[in-house]
Amino acid sequence: MSRLIDVENLTLQFDTDEGRITAVEDVSFSLEAGEVMGLVGESGSGKSVTAKSLMKLNAGNAIYGPDSRITLHLEDGPVDVMSLKTDTEMKVVRGGAISLIFQEPMASFAPAISIGEQMVEQLMIHTDFSKAQARELSIEMLDRVGISDASTRFGQYAFELSGGMRQRAMIAMALSTKPKLLIADEPTTALDVTIQAQVIDLMKDLVSEFGMGIIFITHDLGVIAQTADKVAVMYLGRLVEQGTVRDVIRRPAHPYTRGLLAALPTLEDIDAPLTPIPGDIPSPLERPSGCVYHTRCQEVIGARCANEIPKFSQVDTDHAAACHLHDEQGETA
Amino acid sequence: MPGLPAMMTNFEARKGHSFHGAHEGMVQFLRFAAIRAVLAFFTLCLVSFIVFSLMELVPGDCAERYLAFKNSQGAQISIADIEAERVRLGLDRPFFERWVKWIFNAFQGEFGDSCILRLNINQLLGQKVWLSIGICLGSLLLAYAIAIPVGIIAATSRNPFLNNGLRIISYLGLALPNFLLALMIMLFSTMVFGNSLTGLFSPEFRDAAWDWPRIKDFLSHVWLPVFILGWSATAFAIQTVRALMSDEIGKLYVTAAAARGVSGRRLLMRYPARHALSPIINSLGFDLNRIFNELPIVALILTLTEAGSLLIEALARSNDQQLAGAIIFFLTGSIVAINFITDITLAIVDPRIRRSILG
Ligand SMILES: Nc1ncnc2c1ncn2[C@@H]1O[C@H](COP(=O)(O)OP(=O)(O)OP(=O)(O)O)[C@@H](O)[C@H]1O
Ligand code: SF4
Ligand SMILES: [Mg+2]
Repeated sequence: MSRLIDVENLTLQFDTDEGRITAVEDVSFSLEAGEVMGLVGESGSGKSVTAKSLMKLNAGNAIYGPDSRITLHLEDGPVDVMSLKTDTEMKVVRGGAISLIFQEPMASFAPAISIGEQMVEQLMIHTDFSKAQARELSIEMLDRVGISDASTRFGQYAFELSGGMRQRAMIAMALSTKPKLLIADEPTTALDVTIQAQVIDLMKDLVSEFGMGIIFITHDLGVIAQTADKVAVMYLGRLVEQGTVRDVIRRPAHPYTRGLLAALPTLEDIDAPLTPIPGDIPSPLERPSGCVYHTRCQEVIGARCANEIPKFSQVDTDHAAACHLHDEQGETA
Repeated sequence: MPGLPAMMTNFEARKGHSFHGAHEGMVQFLRFAAIRAVLAFFTLCLVSFIVFSLMELVPGDCAERYLAFKNSQGAQISIADIEAERVRLGLDRPFFERWVKWIFNAFQGEFGDSCILRLNINQLLGQKVWLSIGICLGSLLLAYAIAIPVGIIAATSRNPFLNNGLRIISYLGLALPNFLLALMIMLFSTMVFGNSLTGLFSPEFRDAAWDWPRIKDFLSHVWLPVFILGWSATAFAIQTVRALMSDEIGKLYVTAAAARGVSGRRLLMRYPARHALSPIINSLGFDLNRIFNELPIVALILTLTEAGSLLIEALARSNDQQLAGAIIFFLTGSIVAINFITDITLAIVDPRIRRSILG
């Protein structure tokens, strides 16, 4: 496997009327080609803005930290995403080497432009296809994701398609430029369960076929267990645990991950009461000092948790957590 | 924007066999247009019925009013004279019959004689109706010609000076009543140029035939009412366009298009601007209506006897039912017409509406 993307010390703030809020803080991870990484966390933890950072797609009020580095490794050499300035330069991360499937399949198609026109437009931007070729490929892609009567659907509008169909069309569009990295931002939340499973299967098939990397964003660890190779857990803009899916789900090292898993229904005992993580997510305007999780953590080990930001430490070969329980002093304590 | 031709190609793509598909789409579209036209016609009939009933409710009728007028001029009038006049005017016929006759004639552009002036209304109104409608449409055009680019820039710009400047101008436009603006301009121009800028024609051109010098004279006068009526309309329209654009720009499909590499002017025009178009078209009828409402008072101040002030005169001063009815009929007729046109345009521009009619 070869390295596809490196994200180092990503910090992202937003200027708002209430002040400057930190949405992502010091996030680092990397992904190999052909690997599926799950990015999990509760609502508002910063998953979507992290994903959009990879395309420099955040709103105009976004401020990236000076140490943030995102490096995309392509065949013609590495691309330093943070230094991309012009629209032309940014094309490579916007629909070229990276495609993003948004949380809302309905709202991400323009309502008054047909699905086909939007697909062709994207291909015309990123390839040197003729219009006819772009059209042909688009219809083929729609067909590939299991949309029947693809040439009719090509001429239709988003409002004429069902939810599952729209998400399939979205996937077809995202994959049509053959990106190296696909970011799927909760691609299944808007769908009902059977269609969710179909869409997940479809994505798995396509990944292995196209050999691309995927970042799969969800708040559902159950979905991650079915789809991902590795997982990164995010809380309040910080990564708190990373590792292979097996390790993280079997032996969660961070109290937050344990909390998320406890909140999940289990197949062995469907009727067991679910225990959601107690406490409220702090407002982004009042970020906790020290460990961001200490206001809700049930395993707090003293004043260090509130004062000192925990660093990542290995708990296994491919498994690390940012918690004082696992650094040297914590272990000795 | 995809007009009819684009719509047809969509149909070809959908149906496979092109001629039949295009033909079918056209037929459905024409049927839609015909239904809308019939609806517009009924609206006009309904309005005319209301207008006609109101004319009936005003105490006294045309015969009395005319003879009373004569009386005041010194003529001796008897009850018998009034009755004879009623019969002559057909006022002794039942209400419904008279309405049918009135509406039937109205659609043929025949409104009978004015009650007081005893002149054929068509002669009396002459080009006045068309001039009034023209002034209103001109103001509407001016308003949107300014508002669309300015509104788009205002919605996309993050420059605080530009935005605040525009805001102040908009508030001025909204807060400053048209008649005050008209008075101010008149006062100013009288003091500076010794010319109050009133009227639509210089005296020597008033009754001349249309030729190039008269057109030039007309244009040199007409800009003022168009400007004054367009003033607040523009302020409104800028607010509308800016709000609609900001709304669209914030929508996910715009970010999604940016994520696919669409950028710059193409992104702006094809996505938010294109999608703000339907609600903008929708607001045109409403705006024209408001301009019509403001026309009479502006016309009165600028002494545009050629335009809407005639309505106030007809209604308030002389109680001339026939004349007022004709004017209201023209005004509502043009509003119904513009709504019909916007409906049809929307169906061409917006696929959601198009699909709902084409099935
Ligand atoms: N343009 C913006 N201006 C200000 N704050 C923003 C902006 N965009 C996002 N945020 C804030 O950043 C934080 C992270 O948002 P994000 O959408 O990434 O959460 P998420 O993890 O994707 O949540 P969800 O599961 O609900 O999608 C939130 O507190 C959000 O309010
Ligand atoms: S560092 Fe302390 S507060 Fe944070 S998760 Fe670990 S134990 Fe809990
Ligand atoms: Mg999100």
